[in-house]
Amino acid sequence: MKPLVLALEQEPDQRLDLSPLSPHRLDGKSAKEIAEIEVQTTREKVTVGDLFRIRPGDAQTIVFEGGSTRLDNVGLGLKGGEIIVEGDVGKCVGRSMSGGNLVVAGDAGPYAGSALSGGRLEIGGNAGDFLGGPLEGELEGVTGGLLIVRGDAGARAGDRLRRGTLVIEGSAGDYPGSRMIAGTLVVLGATGVLPGYLMRRGTIALANPPELAPTFLDCGAHELAFASLSSRLLKPESRGAAKLFSSLLHRFAGDSAALGKGEILFPA
Amino acid sequence: MTEAQIDGRPASLDAAAQRAAEILSRARLPIVAGLGTDIAGARASIALAERIRGAYDHLESDKIFTDLDVMRQAGRFVTTPNEARLRADVLLFIGKDLTKIWPQLLERLAPAAVPEFDLAHATRKLVWIAPGRAAAQVDGLDVTTIDSNDPHVALASLRARVADRPVNSGKGAKRKIDEIAQILKGARFGVAVWGPELLDSLAIEMLYGLLADLNKTTRFSGLPLGADSNAGGVLQASGWMTGFPMRTSFGRGFPEHDTWRFDAARLVDSGEADAALWISAYGREVPRWKKQIPLIALVPSQVKFDHEPQVRVEVGGPGVDHDSAEFAREVGAIVARRASLPSDAPSVSSVIDRIAQHIGGEA
Repeated sequence: MKPLVLALEQEPDQRLDLSPLSPHRLDGKSAKEIAEIEVQTTREKVTVGDLFRIRPGDAQTIVFEGGSTRLDNVGLGLKGGEIIVEGDVGKCVGRSMSGGNLVVAGDAGPYAGSALSGGRLEIGGNAGDFLGGPLEGELEGVTGGLLIVRGDAGARAGDRLRRGTLVIEGSAGDYPGSRMIAGTLVVLGATGVLPGYLMRRGTIALANPPELAPTFLDCGAHELAFASLSSRLLKPESRGAAKLFSSLLHRFAGDSAALGKGEILFPA
Repeated sequence: MTEAQIDGRPASLDAAAQRAAEILSRARLPIVAGLGTDIAGARASIALAERIRGAYDHLESDKIFTDLDVMRQAGRFVTTPNEARLRADVLLFIGKDLTKIWPQLLERLAPAAVPEFDLAHATRKLVWIAPGRAAAQVDGLDVTTIDSNDPHVALASLRARVADRPVNSGKGAKRKIDEIAQILKGARFGVAVWGPELLDSLAIEMLYGLLADLNKTTRFSGLPLGADSNAGGVLQASGWMTGFPMRTSFGRGFPEHDTWRFDAARLVDSGEADAALWISAYGREVPRWKKQIPLIALVPSQVKFDHEPQVRVEVGGPGVDHDSAEFAREVGAIVARRASLPSDAPSVSSVIDRIAQHIGGEA
């Protein structure tokens, strides 16, 4: 079946909330009904039809041709199916998604993959701050699924990560893996200051670690059984991550200020 | 005599209010920013923002959110300066900027005085992390200091040692941290004091982890110094009016809170906001955004702008020119203040009410 294509005709004047444009919410809707969906965030009304040229198709796959940093909540709550964005997106792409596949070719704004609980989110460009992190007042970030950033991520990537895997192939900003509860965060590029600040449990694997806080304790170099499993698991998604996990790993345990049952690994 | 200007030329207050109403009514997303005003001014401003379906933000939001983010994501507990002065036998100061943020701090807490309600009636102990030269201001008691380039690291090490967990520091550094950990654990009632510039929300969450750990065996509380321009009062007014702190928008007709999207400077510089009402009745702050958009300013007379606002009304100082209700650091609550030098200069709330009168029902 042909996918449903939404081609962006111009840069929007205001931020748009595209949360209604997910497969489970468009299923069975005609092109006319889709065109009438309101997506504005100010008093000036904007409909899907005002901004996008719609090429009807099976809504199980939605393709956005063109993107903008003003497109927020793309793929919010995605349960299944696929969304492909051939451009940039704004805040909260893939937020709370529990299944399906979401691919952004360009850059993503802050809180990409916020509270992801399942499925796969891939960002081809860079991601903003708080990758996968919880929003104001929420207690958990990512609780499952796979989140891959091919470019760089901003500060505090993987904040309050609880389960699931985040792979950043580029560099990460300051405090990656802050307040981690569990789960796995991998950074292949450079890393900002104080990774794993306040982490309780979980694994942070860094190809290029910065100086660690004194609350991370040297446990020596290991050949870890789980690492080779992780390596095999991540191979189809990220060759860099697979390579990192296949090397001899130096382990630091922390953050001893918090529970101290987490670990930071890097090539020995 | 009210001073108002339109495009830099003197005008009546009514003409200025009418022009302001026109500018705000025409905008796609107007913002009410600065919000340096008393409670009445904040209430009028937020009500106006709802009417024009705009977003509102406070000039000190970044500082307010360092503490607030911890409260809403991890939890926190606070005490008042008076409680600290009367009961605390141990004070934990963090940062060299405390007396700069609040010049009356040492006078209020009187660290050298014996805490009146502490049964032991012993001299207080003061621990100061990253004091710079500020520790020299305290006379009459021993101050244990620890220099630190990064309070994140100092607080993490301290928390680990208070909980008897290991740290990977040099011998000298570890001995110092252990000494301070013993002082904190030996407190009968301790109070930590910090400001929102040196500590970000992560450091404050670490600090609250430390305080929570200490509370397993003794009592310890926090005294955040917060921000100026009645940020604490506006925060509370915003809370009871919309259920949210500042950085809330009525764009869709209902309040939506988002600390990233509704940051006033970001909204203007990204081109999303297309008109602004700037309110700063306490001081000389001007907007931090760089882009020029139609601007209405409610400010004291001395304030200078790089580009003259379209509309400017000179307002009086809360608690100076007119009576006010505002958040007072010294008691940690909203208090009523009588005007110290009463004058005819209009209050922010009265000017906003005039603007609102010129906005039609379908604004």
